[in-house]
Amino acid sequence: MTGVSAPYCHPEERSDEGSAFRVDRKSRFLASLGMTGMALLIAAGPYDIPLFATPKAPAANGAARLVFAQSPFGIAVTADGHAQYDVQITVSRLPAPSSLGAFRSYVAWATTPDLQRWDRLGAITNGTTTVGHVALNKFLLVITAESDSAPRTHAGPTVLHGTSPSGWLQSFLNHPMFRGITG
Amino acid sequence: MRARLSVFVCALCIPLATGSAQQKRDSMAGMDHMHMPGMKHDSAGMPIPMPAGMPMIPGLVGLVPPGGTFLPGAGVQVARLPAAKPTQVVRLGNGDTLDLTAMLVRRTIRGRDFAMYGFNGEVPGPLIRVPQNATIVVRFHNRIDLPSAVHWHGVRLDNRSDGAPGVTQEPVAPGGSFVYSVHFPDAGLYWYHPHVREDVEQAMGLFGNMIVDSPLADYYAPANSEHVMLLDDLLINADSLIPFGADGPDFALMGRVGNVQLVNGEPGYMLRVKRGEVARFYLTNTASSRTYNVSFGGTPVKVVASDESRFEREELVPSVVLAPAERYVVDVRFARPGRYAIVNAVQAINHYKGEFEPEVDTLGFVTVDDAPAKPDYARAFATLRANRAVTNEIDRFRKYFDKAPDKQLTLSVQTTGLPLATVQFMTIDTAYFAPVEWIDGMPDMNWLSTSKQVRWILRDDATGKENMDIDWHVSRGSVVKLRIFNDPKSFHPMQHPIHLHGQRMLVVARDGVPTRNQVWKDTALIPVGSTVDLLIDASNPGDWMLHCHIAEHLGAGMMAVLHVD
Repeated sequence: MTGVSAPYCHPEERSDEGSAFRVDRKSRFLASLGMTGMALLIAAGPYDIPLFATPKAPAANGAARLVFAQSPFGIAVTADGHAQYDVQITVSRLPAPSSLGAFRSYVAWATTPDLQRWDRLGAITNGTTTVGHVALNKFLLVITAESDSAPRTHAGPTVLHGTSPSGWLQSFLNHPMFRGITG
Repeated sequence: MRARLSVFVCALCIPLATGSAQQKRDSMAGMDHMHMPGMKHDSAGMPIPMPAGMPMIPGLVGLVPPGGTFLPGAGVQVARLPAAKPTQVVRLGNGDTLDLTAMLVRRTIRGRDFAMYGFNGEVPGPLIRVPQNATIVVRFHNRIDLPSAVHWHGVRLDNRSDGAPGVTQEPVAPGGSFVYSVHFPDAGLYWYHPHVREDVEQAMGLFGNMIVDSPLADYYAPANSEHVMLLDDLLINADSLIPFGADGPDFALMGRVGNVQLVNGEPGYMLRVKRGEVARFYLTNTASSRTYNVSFGGTPVKVVASDESRFEREELVPSVVLAPAERYVVDVRFARPGRYAIVNAVQAINHYKGEFEPEVDTLGFVTVDDAPAKPDYARAFATLRANRAVTNEIDRFRKYFDKAPDKQLTLSVQTTGLPLATVQFMTIDTAYFAPVEWIDGMPDMNWLSTSKQVRWILRDDATGKENMDIDWHVSRGSVVKLRIFNDPKSFHPMQHPIHLHGQRMLVVARDGVPTRNQVWKDTALIPVGSTVDLLIDASNPGDWMLHCHIAEHLGAGMMAVLHVD
């Protein structure tokens, strides 16, 4: 626990005690929550994306499942090798879009982790909707409220979001296993 | 060593069954890594080439796999071996006989000579071209330094001639012979290869194609030219082949992934065509482990046929994905003059950085001359044909598409005695596994894993029986729905191209989504975490192997037998 949470603690929140860090109760709780969340994500499977609600729609919940796009081959990929998925999004307890402002629809987007590229996947409603395609290595799945069902860019508030399973790829650069290697 | 191997090759169940009794099982896949029996340190250091930017794990430096090593032609002067010859086309008719000899040859790759294997001195072996419904006799002669046999991949032939030692015949000892009767009921593209230590014999050059011609003149749309491309890779370090395990495969975790790309046994494939030419490519993946994603310089590719038949409908695609043992027949029209690179483009994972990295390997080039091709098949190429005959035949199977599975398999793995550093790395790397591992991003760990430490598993969900203990009997003429789940929570999940001998099957659904454009297959890719429903037309009586076609996974136990009574 300590070893996991320590790198993410603010310096004032920890004190050295031998080689281990001591963290306050809040940090420990947050770290524990993070680890639990990660464990749940991993347990969800390599094609599942749990969705998390934002304060704009705190009662909403949902999940997405990546399904390979139709292809004559054993796996659907682009010419440069990106896996191609349709996205099955199941949500519930989304409020009426108009309750959040001048909005009529909820729209699903796939965006790169640096938020530079946003691909509109399609409009969704409560229940299960299949939208697509996604062909990004790592991406965030974001649901926003919008003024129409096919906006060119995202403009409204985010109500749900999640991370593609590939987002959990870990860097081993700093792992003790590679200590002394500069790569 | 060779004599012991000869018993198992295909079904190397005895040594593995003995070992498996001592292995543990749990949800993270039966790891027992606190000891490393037989793991040795080698002061010469590691000969395995690492991907750029991926360091070796320090805990593995200096280790070598347990057991001895093997390379073809030990003690033979390579320079005295006959140079490998290019493939010859052998056209045979019903009742004809072919002598096929597995032999040592000298191959020169990147300026270095290696002792390798070839059929009739050719790499790839002779291209056998026969009319549909022909039966030929093949007199196989084994003149290599391992036991061998020939499997006629995809052909729905008589069980006795399937070439699966341990199931349908004894291995053919060095110096021995075996006579096969090969009947070709289906038009299309097939291939032949040994079913004995495929990780060695196939990788060293023992493979060839068969094209079975339909009597129908318009079976395929017209094309100006036809070209066979057998895709393969070879693993070499600076000056030699990376040796193979003497007693069983090394690279047992991921299979041996080469660092030299070969087409028809040679690097740097070259083809010259005319402007507007429609070229038909017969593509076969003969690699031990690599899955390809092949494109032709951005030119649209028309997919016409796969393993056992044409598709219901032709499709235009940007690239062709081939898992090991899969075949595709594709048409490409080169509309403009110029130079087109044939590439294998994938998104590789750098496990060290935790990032995807694009990887593009150039397999060769097509040079398109300015002179126009005649006749001009532009209009025919632009037409995507619906193959009514294929659809009509599949129609009688559609009523079975939605039935409950008759059999269910889970794909998994057990390991024991792997180096501690490997176990550490892989345990903490399990947060995400790609559906397909396109490259070997961990060759140091992979090389050090052998079939003594890694046991790949087909598990029957109904009985819990595994691999060769599975005893499935189905009636001739039955239609069997087989559901296969590739467990993503095993110690090292990986994609598996599952091949069924002697029958044909349809991939009716992937992860619950029905397949819209059917084609008869004999090999189906099962990505990590996926569930794939196969519908087997169990019409050919006999004992037929069902196995992963990654050669090292097969050598590490991943096989079963389906009895069609």
